[in-house]
Amino acid sequence: MINRKLSLSMLVAVFLVQLYVPASMIAEREEILNTGKAYKFKTAPVDPNDPFRGKYIALQFAENEFFAGPKQAWQYNEPVYVHLSADAEGCATIQGVSREAPGEDTTYIKAAIDHALDNGLIGIAYPFDRYYLEESKAYEAEESYRASLPNTTQTTYALVMIKAGDAVLKDVMIGDVSIKEVVEKNRREQDSP
Amino acid sequence: MAKNVLHELPALVEAGVISEEVAGRIRQYYQQREPSHRLFTVFSMLGALLAGLGVILLVAHNWDELTRLVKTGLVFLLLLTGQAACLYVRLRKPGSTSWRESAAAFLFLAVGASIALISQIYHIPGNLTAFILTWMLLCLPLVYTMPSSVVSMLYIIGITCYACERSYWSYPSATAYLYWGLLLGVVPYYYALCRRKADSPLTALHHWLVPLSVVTALGTLSRTTEELMMVAYMSLFALLYLAGNIPFLKEQKTANNGYLVTGAAGTLILLLILSFHGFWQHWHEQDFAPARLFGSVEFVAAFVLSLLAGVFLYRLYRDKPWYTIDPAAYVFILFAATFALGVSSAGAAILLVNLLVLLLGTYTVVQGAGRQDLKLLNYGLLIILVLAVCRFFDTDLSFALRGSLFVLAGTGFFLINYSMFRKIKANKS
Repeated sequence: MINRKLSLSMLVAVFLVQLYVPASMIAEREEILNTGKAYKFKTAPVDPNDPFRGKYIALQFAENEFFAGPKQAWQYNEPVYVHLSADAEGCATIQGVSREAPGEDTTYIKAAIDHALDNGLIGIAYPFDRYYLEESKAYEAEESYRASLPNTTQTTYALVMIKAGDAVLKDVMIGDVSIKEVVEKNRREQDSP
Repeated sequence: MAKNVLHELPALVEAGVISEEVAGRIRQYYQQREPSHRLFTVFSMLGALLAGLGVILLVAHNWDELTRLVKTGLVFLLLLTGQAACLYVRLRKPGSTSWRESAAAFLFLAVGASIALISQIYHIPGNLTAFILTWMLLCLPLVYTMPSSVVSMLYIIGITCYACERSYWSYPSATAYLYWGLLLGVVPYYYALCRRKADSPLTALHHWLVPLSVVTALGTLSRTTEELMMVAYMSLFALLYLAGNIPFLKEQKTANNGYLVTGAAGTLILLLILSFHGFWQHWHEQDFAPARLFGSVEFVAAFVLSLLAGVFLYRLYRDKPWYTIDPAAYVFILFAATFALGVSSAGAAILLVNLLVLLLGTYTVVQGAGRQDLKLLNYGLLIILVLAVCRFFDTDLSFALRGSLFVLAGTGFFLINYSMFRKIKANKS
């Protein structure tokens, strides 16, 4: 009987852990979305898919390299703190990189080294390179992006909320309109005679 | 089976094989016997697995119409549904294998679907490796607390995928050392399963999954001196073969003894691959610094596996004269020596590997003939035949000579079978 009670309480403990892990993942990201600072990252999307999580557009960012200087030997996949500031249009630009977290007055992201060249140029792998979409929309989103390319007045960017080094991708925008809305608008236009 | 027996009863009575009374008792036995639950168990587990996989696919569609709040709610709904089913089974149907396994399998897949859903909602990049690892770690305790063999099997498949994704399918890749720790996590359950439910089909499936998973994952250790993995693999196959020969597994049907089959087949396939000159030429031309070679993870793997296989070999066969031992059990020692010889002479190594295959084939033929076992005999002949076919493609012998050798081999095949068949027939009569 004691054994059964013990085994049942262990099962319940497992259930609590199974609930706690997703709950903490959700809470952490909700906190960033609600209280984080918004940055725009200029991007170029393409659509692959993931067997479990469905279709997404993979994001490659324009601001993804920085000249860190030849003295710092960076390794592939090494954690790096990327210091950011916003330009006149609100787009993120890299101000510096460090192995330690900067002070509270600097906006920064915990990222990883994607590549490091001997001359000191490093590539940054941001922790937000996927934007998941409803499966039928991923391809159309990529098409919409391609269609927007000739229009130089429109920029495509990822809207990212940042707080204390953590980041959550909120949306991908084409000329200040969400890529989902762009796809829906295109569908409506195609459907109307 | 029961239907067939009952159908045969009148004929058996009429032929005087059994009496009417015995026939009546057989009928009574089958009428009173409880219906088999095995089929129900299998189908209920399949049902739970299909439903769970369906949920994952539905999640992967990524429903735009649902708000973030609704999707977040779905995460917990999925988990709580699975957990409620498990709790219900534990409290109300503790003795039912089918209910227990089905509920646990559903929860296992629901956990995967939930993590996938969170990744979608918040666009968490995390590669597949991190995703599978989180999933497996959250579900390993279910193996023990439910307890569930299906979850244990899904877990073994999951950690194997984790190792493959980390080392084979990703670029740049990394060695999946963690796999071995994750595998250890399920060992106590597997051991208990072997002790308590030795004859269960789920245990038999474990006897296949574990060796296949280890064989798949061993290659992930391969880095810069991958040639040494040949020794590691040969020793692993010997270890599996020896494990398949311990009394507990030896008593099982061959189809249930994945260790024995994987070990024997692996040894043979690897030897046949290495009977060509390509690998040995490459190995002979290598110029490894001893420090690099002996300090490599591949060397450690080869050394540890050879040591384990050696200890196993000694414990299993210490009381038997060496010439009665199956060569498949000690071929790894001869291969290690051949491998070392291959550094100085590729030709000698190729010749020795061919002789090792011939030794395995001949021993099997002799065993088959001795036991008058046609299957074993033909298996041995098949080994020799495959070796001959391999030589067909890369030998320098003339076509006429090769043709004659093949005609001779074919005739021998036929004659040995025919004489064995006559011998068995004579013994029976």
